[in-house]
Amino acid sequence: MRAPAEGTLRGVATFLASFGIGVAVYIAIADSGGGSPVCVAGGHGCQTVAESAYSHLLGVNVAAFGIVGYVSLLACALLRGDGARMAGFAFALIGFGFSLYLTYLELFTINAICQWCVASAVLMTLLFITNSIRMLAYVGKAR
Amino acid sequence: MSGKKDREARREERIREDQEAGSAERRQRLIKLASAMAFLALAAVAVLIVISQSQSSGGDASSIADTAEVKQDLSGIPQSGMVLGESSAKVTLFEFGDLQCPVCKGFSEEILPQVIENQVRSGEAKIDFRNFTIIGPQSTPAGAAAIAAGEQGRGWNYVELFYRNQGTEDSGYATDKFLTAIAKGAGVPNIARWNSDRKSKRVLAEVEATTAEAERLGFTGTPSFAVEGPGTTGKQTLGTPGSSDTLESAISSAG
Repeated sequence: MRAPAEGTLRGVATFLASFGIGVAVYIAIADSGGGSPVCVAGGHGCQTVAESAYSHLLGVNVAAFGIVGYVSLLACALLRGDGARMAGFAFALIGFGFSLYLTYLELFTINAICQWCVASAVLMTLLFITNSIRMLAYVGKAR
Repeated sequence: MSGKKDREARREERIREDQEAGSAERRQRLIKLASAMAFLALAAVAVLIVISQSQSSGGDASSIADTAEVKQDLSGIPQSGMVLGESSAKVTLFEFGDLQCPVCKGFSEEILPQVIENQVRSGEAKIDFRNFTIIGPQSTPAGAAAIAAGEQGRGWNYVELFYRNQGTEDSGYATDKFLTAIAKGAGVPNIARWNSDRKSKRVLAEVEATTAEAERLGFTGTPSFAVEGPGTTGKQTLGTPGSSDTLESAISSAG
């Protein structure tokens, strides 16, 4: 099966990373105001997750790590060349792996689901797929 | 002429083949480098997970802290059931909390002490702790344990000591062993009676009833507060006030 054109993959990754920045910034702002993200469909899930000890890493909200990750992924999507292809893959793998862990915590430890966290996990998964295809199909090839 | 052209064509083909071979080799090298980066990325994820997991603290039944401090903070203030303060106090502040909730722990340590010192100790108000179990399955037995301690005059000691030793939210630390260690630390006189009370249908039903009441009042998170006094019509909901001063002025207005 032929991989999509690199320009298409970069376009998709740009869109996903920009959307991810929006989600992570919203969660971080809601947390910094002393509150928690509002679950669109109601329920306590977002508050429960935001109040859990796992919502912070070394005193920093995990959403802040998310912002850094999405911004890095956006930069990789916008840049050309092997460096961007490989860095995008590595950042996406870190984001995808950590999102899997956070989703596991939501399901089996915190016993609550926050829609914003799920949205971020889905975006990270799609970014991982996009960046993996880009790296495997185009690394070492001409720009 | 034809021989020269052939030689040039062969030479160009050789150059193209060399370039393709070089490109394939470079690609192989980069794929290997990417594999190494993938390994490092997974190691970074593992480090993040270890940091996240190691943050869990408290919730240790074998080392209950701050028993003396809690006793000192509450000394001289009457308790009846889950109510702290003089029964004759005109104003009642209702706190709907979950013992596993870290925000409630924050309130217990930062916001409520000022209210207790200024308005409860003076007899102006009393605080009624009511369970609003929203965090997880262990919130109900924890809440029931506090009520059972309240039946022996140590309800608030139980709540305060639980908060001081609270573990990572809903991580499974609130075991029977932990609940018992808190009861002993809180000075519950008859542990055997406390143990049977906390498992009784009556006490468990009370936890459910106060949780239902909180929902009826429209609360969605913990801790949530309501105030009732001569200046209010029934329970006036306050939500989650951000400071001791807000709570104090709500109590003053209700008096």
